[in-house]
Amino acid sequence: MRIRAALATAVASAGILLAGWQSGAHIAETGTATTTSLNSSATSGGIAAGGTNSGGGTTATGPSSAGSGSSSGSSTGSTTAATYDGASVQTRFGTVQVQVTIQSGKITEVTALQLTDAERKSAQISSRAAPVLRSEVLQAQSANVQTIGGATVTSDAYLTSLQAALDAANF
Amino acid sequence: MQPTSNGQQLRARTFRSMGTVVSLTVVSLTVASNTYADTAVDELESAVEVVEGIFAKLDHAFSLYRRGSEASRLARGELTLADASETMRDLYAEASEWRLATEGAFTAERPDGRLDLTGIVKAHAVREAAMSLRALGLQDWCVNAGGDVLVSGSPDPATHDPWLAGILDPLDREALLGAFPLQSRKALATSGSAERGDHIWAVGGARPEFVQASVAAADIVTADVLATAIVAGGTRTLDLVAAKWGVAVLAVRPDGELLATPEFRSAA
Repeated sequence: MRIRAALATAVASAGILLAGWQSGAHIAETGTATTTSLNSSATSGGIAAGGTNSGGGTTATGPSSAGSGSSSGSSTGSTTAATYDGASVQTRFGTVQVQVTIQSGKITEVTALQLTDAERKSAQISSRAAPVLRSEVLQAQSANVQTIGGATVTSDAYLTSLQAALDAANF
Repeated sequence: MQPTSNGQQLRARTFRSMGTVVSLTVVSLTVASNTYADTAVDELESAVEVVEGIFAKLDHAFSLYRRGSEASRLARGELTLADASETMRDLYAEASEWRLATEGAFTAERPDGRLDLTGIVKAHAVREAAMSLRALGLQDWCVNAGGDVLVSGSPDPATHDPWLAGILDPLDREALLGAFPLQSRKALATSGSAERGDHIWAVGGARPEFVQASVAAADIVTADVLATAIVAGGTRTLDLVAAKWGVAVLAVRPDGELLATPEFRSAA
């Protein structure tokens, strides 16, 4: 009786360990995804590159490295790259810190120095929708798309729609 | 559209159903010999006939504009769900699952408590149409049901370029907000807060936070349901959807501000 109970416990523990191992592997995967999309979120201003630490005081540092400077002063303008470490920011997903590379006045690269405490939560950042400018969305003219998506049109509204023009062209 | 240099041409046919217009576009070879062109046209005509039949049958059962339809009889309480057709019961079950999964943002129940499956039946029709098109052996096609899009293959099989769908600007129906290449995600559905029949009801009767939401997903029902849920549920649902389903989302606020997941941003 007691042996049977112990055996059952052992089997259950093994099951939990296995489940834990599997979810661990999953977390590792989503962790990678986070880095990529954190880049884009930060670029568009979704996540501030600076700010204050909840512990008090800013931890932002100045340029930590000077870039190539190869063509500095030339007619093509300055291409000096500088990297800035952002402050550690407390978000509702945990602590986030990013490093920004600025070249010719533009942010060219954003890397995550510190990701959130809860990696499962950080995966949510990766897929979150952030505000974007119209110019940041893949642009298209009605001439180079094959179909038009939009809120449902009535049969009458269809007649004067862009989709109708495409259909007519392909009839 | 003009035939491309590869000798590919897009051919389209349309029909009216479910209060809107459905377009079927297929890729056909345009070679010097007319035989091939004729075969391609025949192929398209028979394909559109099959797709139209699927839509007509579902519209007949699910339309709430038709007093005698199965859905109308259900809504009036003359028919119980237990006695309804299998398709009706299956779609009701599917809609109920989506209601749970979206935490109530998507619902097949109108504010007056009546059952309304029209929010899911169009996407279901597209899903059924896709199965038939595959069964007919067609590989490169695009179905657009009143603004909801499902594609297969490529508009130019020689290059394997993905189908590119433009997304209408809700504030200017002659302009595009942007485009989305339907590559790994083959379905793109868009819902608007001011759309036909107002079948989206903002949760709690509040003013919608989004005038339009587009969702690209692997399948059309998921895309359609989630686009509807985002318009109804607002920012909270948008965050839930992006985190839980990993779909691509482009949402438009009433002032024209855009929110997008990374997939909707240009590669540049």
